[in-house]
Amino acid sequence: MFFIFSSMSFDCFKETIELGDTVMLYLGVNSMHALEVQPKIKNKKEEMVENVFQTTYGALKVKDLVGKKYGSKVELSKGWAYVLHPTPELWTLTLPHRTQIIYTPDISMIIFQLEIRSGSIVVEAGTGSGSLSHAMIRCIKPGGHLFTFDFHSHRVSVAQAEFESHSIGQYVTVEQRDVCRDGFGAQLQGKADAVFLDLPHPWEAVACAASVIKESGEFGNIVIL
Amino acid sequence: MNNGNESNVVRIGDYVIIQRQKYSKLHKITKKCKVTLGKDHVELDVIVGRPFWTTYKMELKSKKLFSLVECDGVESLSEQLIKDVSSGIDNRNIFDDGSSQLLSKEEIVGLRDSGLSGSEIVGHLIGNSKTFHNKTEYAQEKYLLKKEKKYFEYMTIRRPTFRLVAQIMFKQDPGKIMWLRMDTLSQITTSVGIHSHGTYLLYDSGCLGLPAASMLHYVGENGHIVNIHPGTLPQKEAIQAMNFSEDHLKSLMTVNIHKLLYNLLGNSSSHQETTNSAESLHELSKSSDVAGENLSKGDESNFQISDNKPAKGCENVPKYSSEHLTEDRHLAEEGDSKKRKLQDGEINIAKRPRWELEMDRAVDLLRAHKADGLVVVSREHPLNIVASLLPLLAVSRPLVVYCVLREPLLDLYMHLKCRGDVVGLRLTETWLRTHQVLPDRTHPDMLMDGGGGYLLVGTVVEGKRS
Repeated sequence: MFFIFSSMSFDCFKETIELGDTVMLYLGVNSMHALEVQPKIKNKKEEMVENVFQTTYGALKVKDLVGKKYGSKVELSKGWAYVLHPTPELWTLTLPHRTQIIYTPDISMIIFQLEIRSGSIVVEAGTGSGSLSHAMIRCIKPGGHLFTFDFHSHRVSVAQAEFESHSIGQYVTVEQRDVCRDGFGAQLQGKADAVFLDLPHPWEAVACAASVIKESGEFGNIVIL
Repeated sequence: MNNGNESNVVRIGDYVIIQRQKYSKLHKITKKCKVTLGKDHVELDVIVGRPFWTTYKMELKSKKLFSLVECDGVESLSEQLIKDVSSGIDNRNIFDDGSSQLLSKEEIVGLRDSGLSGSEIVGHLIGNSKTFHNKTEYAQEKYLLKKEKKYFEYMTIRRPTFRLVAQIMFKQDPGKIMWLRMDTLSQITTSVGIHSHGTYLLYDSGCLGLPAASMLHYVGENGHIVNIHPGTLPQKEAIQAMNFSEDHLKSLMTVNIHKLLYNLLGNSSSHQETTNSAESLHELSKSSDVAGENLSKGDESNFQISDNKPAKGCENVPKYSSEHLTEDRHLAEEGDSKKRKLQDGEINIAKRPRWELEMDRAVDLLRAHKADGLVVVSREHPLNIVASLLPLLAVSRPLVVYCVLREPLLDLYMHLKCRGDVVGLRLTETWLRTHQVLPDRTHPDMLMDGGGGYLLVGTVVEGKRS
């Protein structure tokens, strides 16, 4: 029996690794892995076994990470690696792909063009693998909120679980919805500071995207990928 | 995104962006102020007290002097003029012999001075042209767009945002902001992981304050930006242009690099780290002097990276004895002594100057917590600057260095590799290509900007800091 501690690793910086944190295991510029620090993990037979992560430099007992400092070196059975604090940029490089993702150079430009900042209300469709979502959440927290939509139920639930396990769930609402067909919903009308569309047929969602932008606000940038 | 304390109307003292077609200009509103747009002078007094995003029509008052009248929208010339004009199929019967326009230059200038509107003047030009109705509709549209540029009578007042400020500054004189194009600027703020509760170090030696303005935009009132600069005064045009509130500006601390390092490291016990920092402090004073000269002249030809490269290989940095250390401190102090003497008088009479208070806040802040990110945007060779600021950065935090040239970043890359306490080093350059978007005529623009600069990004880890 073990407890899942609420980790704050994506929400704010901390010095040492705790249970439940997501950490970045850095082996090299092109070899990084995101790990959730849990002592046990399910194997193929659905049995709980000790969480041992295999790398090209040998094995790592994940529970040994607890108490290590972020940014420090850890021993692997045949070498060593660094454990880094998770950031949206590192997450973009390590996340499990469900879709094609947006990478940091494009994320930067999108956030720049949307002119969002701490406190902004942002609408995003679709969620995809949540690469851009993580960066936007960091930018708008703690006062802002991200409403993100995807028409794929599995992607929605996986993204939701990731946000929760990264303890940034309070800044984001994930919903399954085909925004081209159904719009963004009544409760978002006239509420958003910025809208980002990354859809197969973005032109079908432009009208409802415009309707969720704040009426009084002079800002209200829509970026379409 | 509007803060409660941000007013929706233009007030005296605000910066505004004046947009006339594709041309935008930053302007500070004063009482009875005028702005020069091309050859035209425009009185701006009517915009005070009116909301941002209002469009005005320019009306001729006297020769080349215009006043503004609020209007609902912009009427384009082609909408007004082209509907009842026939067009040709191709240009086989058009000859450029300079005789197609029947009006003389004097007559056209006369039309303008008589106070006719732009559309009326262009109407006369078309009416007196022998060939306009033979041109293809594309050529007609092109001609009208060209004339519209000259006679455009509308302008819109917009609130400055760092996106617009960055674009205006890059367009007007990219040399003044070190060719820091918007895509590179956006990557700096993202890569350094900026968010509203962080503490960030920014070294900026002459970008009109643009990096500081963009970082301030993101941290809001709860974060901290320590804006480190060489010389006596930082550049802050972009920060002023953003109309930040007093509370928002409290997030910004502007400090001189020598004084900051002296205050932070000079007073602590002497160990390896301090020694090296003091050494680089000394080297820094040389490099930033060069930068100071460059900045004062300020033009493109003077933009150069000082050749103050480290004389020693990175592996064998000599260990300075404590004698050397004190010597270096004296040197650093002497550099400041002239300014100190000048300011001593003021301190005795008035309260402590603002820079000193900001220095105290920055020192207290950085003593309590190391910084969450380091950005270096330098005209000098960045190696010594990065080396002396790295000890102020917490582990597992990002480091971002911008340079307009690639080679200094290569030196830095090698140095950081040798140090072994920065991982995930990436040296990147981005290309930005805009497209013309028209029905059936969409294609990349013919010209692409070649200089957006280079970025070196990395993450600091625990390691031997030597």
